[in-house]
Amino acid sequence: MPKTRFTQIGRAIPRREDRRLLTGNGRYVDDIEIPGALHACFVRSPHPHARIVRIDAKAALAMPGVAAVLTGADLAQWTTPLRVAPPIEGLHPVEMTTLPVDKVRFHGDPVACVIARDRYLAEDAAERVEVEYAPLPAVANADQALAEGTALVDESLPSNLVSEQRFSTGDVFARRREAHRVVESAFSQHRQTHLPIETRGCAALWDEGREHLTLHIGSQVPHPLRTQLAARMRLSESQVTISSLDVGGGFGQKIALYREELTVAAASRHLRRPVRWREDRMENLLAASHAREELCRTRAAVTDDGRLLGLELEILEDFGAYCFYPANYLARVVAMILTGPYKVSDYAFVVRVVLTNKCGSGPMRAPMSITSWVMEGTMDAIARELKLDPLEVRRRNMVAAAELPYTMPTGEVIADITPRETLEAAVTRVEYAQFRERQAAARREGRYLGLGLCSVVESTTYGSRFYKAAGIPGSGHEAAWVRIEPSGAVNASLGLGASGQGYETAFSQVVGEGLGVDPASVRIHLGNTDVAPYGMGSRGARGGTAGGATLFLCARDANEKMLAIAAKLLGFDSSEGLRMVEGKVVREVLGERIDTGISFAQLARTAYLDPTALPAGMAPGLDFSRTYDPPPMTYSNAAHVCEVELDVETGAVRILRYVVAEDCGTVLSPVVVEGQQHGAVAMGLSGALLEHMLYDEAAQNITGSLADYLVATATDLPRFEILPMHTPSRGNPVGTKGMAEGGVMGAIGAISNAVNDALAPFGVVAERQPLSPDYLRSLLRGKTP
Amino acid sequence: MDTVDFELSVNGERHAVRAEPRKLLTDVLREDCRLTGTHVGCEHGVCGACTVLVDGRPARACLLYAVQMRGHEITTIEAIAKDGVLSPLQQALHEVHGLQCGFCTAGIVMTFEAYLKENPRPTEEEIRDVLSGNLCRCTGYQNIVEAVLKVVHA
Ligand code: FES
Ligand code: FES
Repeated sequence: MPKTRFTQIGRAIPRREDRRLLTGNGRYVDDIEIPGALHACFVRSPHPHARIVRIDAKAALAMPGVAAVLTGADLAQWTTPLRVAPPIEGLHPVEMTTLPVDKVRFHGDPVACVIARDRYLAEDAAERVEVEYAPLPAVANADQALAEGTALVDESLPSNLVSEQRFSTGDVFARRREAHRVVESAFSQHRQTHLPIETRGCAALWDEGREHLTLHIGSQVPHPLRTQLAARMRLSESQVTISSLDVGGGFGQKIALYREELTVAAASRHLRRPVRWREDRMENLLAASHAREELCRTRAAVTDDGRLLGLELEILEDFGAYCFYPANYLARVVAMILTGPYKVSDYAFVVRVVLTNKCGSGPMRAPMSITSWVMEGTMDAIARELKLDPLEVRRRNMVAAAELPYTMPTGEVIADITPRETLEAAVTRVEYAQFRERQAAARREGRYLGLGLCSVVESTTYGSRFYKAAGIPGSGHEAAWVRIEPSGAVNASLGLGASGQGYETAFSQVVGEGLGVDPASVRIHLGNTDVAPYGMGSRGARGGTAGGATLFLCARDANEKMLAIAAKLLGFDSSEGLRMVEGKVVREVLGERIDTGISFAQLARTAYLDPTALPAGMAPGLDFSRTYDPPPMTYSNAAHVCEVELDVETGAVRILRYVVAEDCGTVLSPVVVEGQQHGAVAMGLSGALLEHMLYDEAAQNITGSLADYLVATATDLPRFEILPMHTPSRGNPVGTKGMAEGGVMGAIGAISNAVNDALAPFGVVAERQPLSPDYLRSLLRGKTP
Repeated sequence: MDTVDFELSVNGERHAVRAEPRKLLTDVLREDCRLTGTHVGCEHGVCGACTVLVDGRPARACLLYAVQMRGHEITTIEAIAKDGVLSPLQQALHEVHGLQCGFCTAGIVMTFEAYLKENPRPTEEEIRDVLSGNLCRCTGYQNIVEAVLKVVHA
């Protein structure tokens, strides 16, 4: 790993994208001016489950300025349904039309689309569309979904159990029999949503003459989105351009091609007019995408000193009404990587996913968010039952540096991670032993402090071999190009979709490093599928690892060619000893640098405008592209420690301290990495304490505004103390390991463990989130310390 | 619905507007005045993304009708940097990485441009209290607080 030679990678440079965003000059979807654009507004179902009997649009169509009212039947003629049917054992294939044709499946399901002169009129007209429904019994939760004789959410399936997988290695039953104790725990995570502050939205422009569709949209995955959109519009990929400029947050919500977006695109082609749509917040809460509703149970067979002999996991996930992704995909990853940094060889899991009459689920920043809470909560449960110190239980089970690479029971290999080092650093920082004394003293005064530990092993970057092994279709590769123009200006691109991660900054550093030029001279072009190469986009935490490595390798290709030209100009046989340093070619002789007088710009000029001066056989120009497929899986790691005070009278939790020791390998931009750490921990804490997408018993969504769906503000969150402990990965050309989701995983676990530590004197355990005052009070009712 | 004609004064410039009386200030600023720096995050007064100044005081543009603004002076994010120079708060946000996706940023800048004029020396607690009226999904707020503190201690 070429660690020490980096001069640009890892420098703390303020972000290049800031200026336009700070001055109101960003270009988010809705900022793009499109003359003559019509506006779309969706008519949505008030019922969680109902047959569509009749749609009467006469009154709406009679309003001046209303161009069309489109229904599922219209869209079915113009578009192809989405079929999700990967060959995975235990996963049922499913299909969905662009808009529902015969029945609606959740409160907020779109049934018709009004297209009108402006948004106000479109909304008025939507109210005039009369839809007659015949309500059906609704499935409001996972238990109901599995009950005998229950309604079917998807009538093409034999039951609501859309996916079930089992796995077992070793002999967990034997381990249970020989165990000193079998410790059982439960973890119930609640439904949440991504809540980007910019809602979804798009603008479609159909060019009838060229038969070409341009879709402006905020997307994390421009090329995969284009593939889907083209296929479902029955167009070729050469007839569609996706353009995603500034994106006001994604967090996983801006990956799928949603039905609304496809409808808007189809409407534009049908009407031969530009059509745009801006989702309102209520629609975003009700009908964009939800996440995280899952119940996990573990059974740990342990020795009397807290060593893990065997582990069993059950997951039951409520996936909502529609599958935009294979239903097994999120929960399956949790089961695959559950054991994280802990050693155990006998392991079994069963993962079941059910459909209910709620908004469909998808990946949300850390789709496997519950993993660390489940594993670390299990560690705490072991400590509790055996009356051992929770830190000690962790130390006894955690893999040591000498034992790496370590193969998890599922076959996943962890290497180049530092769980012990980060854990010890974090507990040293919070003065663990002294905390226990403070905690005891506070308890004597009737104050309840709690400390929660949570180690995280974050699966950041999926290589194609992981997908293949897991039976999931997909590629993990990334693509990049670097072009040096005749003037020496540098353009570069890759297939990621930015939504606030500072790519233009971090990747200009990567290109600057690879080329040996000032990052300020490099321009990164993202988000337009006609410009960017076909990459897999931004999901998981692959940007820095897959994207950074691809771009670095591509820039090195460019550097190599330029130095070969330099050698020719200097009359040398080879470029050995030549290097580009700050835009100048130098020769290294016995550790000394001698300026050759040749500049980067001169080489660029030569490459394009004086091809006869190039080495024999070399093609003119400086145009490079490259793809790279990372190892099957890349892991980074961290240790989180959270200190809370629980007010036992009110149930309120106050976070007193929050420490993260993290190792994410080579850091491209320390500025960006720290920001991602803050943001991820904040999202985890906000979800664990406040956010809750609530449906009533009849499956009506009762969280349609930000007054109902609570999210953390500046007064709810602490100051985060970050301990950077980065050690490079040997599996990546740049040494990066990825990050940005682990913060969520750690926060969910650390806060829960801290609250349970505070609750310990009362003999109760919080097994579900959110850790709301109501819930904590209900646990404490009638209990005394 | 019938439209009305009125004048709007934004960033010291007069705009002749023809719009329905129910048209929100956010939409008129963005569509009629073509000032798209003011963002819309919720349209129900919670997220703070749409914050502008009305006669120097912060207001949520999504809760106002544009016609109500006759006779008032509106300031938006586009007027904060002067001659291409960022304001001290904008500069501090840049230096300490107080923005990520940037969608909430205009509302936060407008909120504190006004607040710091009246309260030039707030404590961290007071800053967090004021900031709690703006939602940011990306930053965890810490670096925004840091940026304001940087201006306060400059
Ligand atoms: S858009 Fe006005 S407060 Fe959210
Ligand atoms: S920076 Fe994205 S919402 Fe604040």
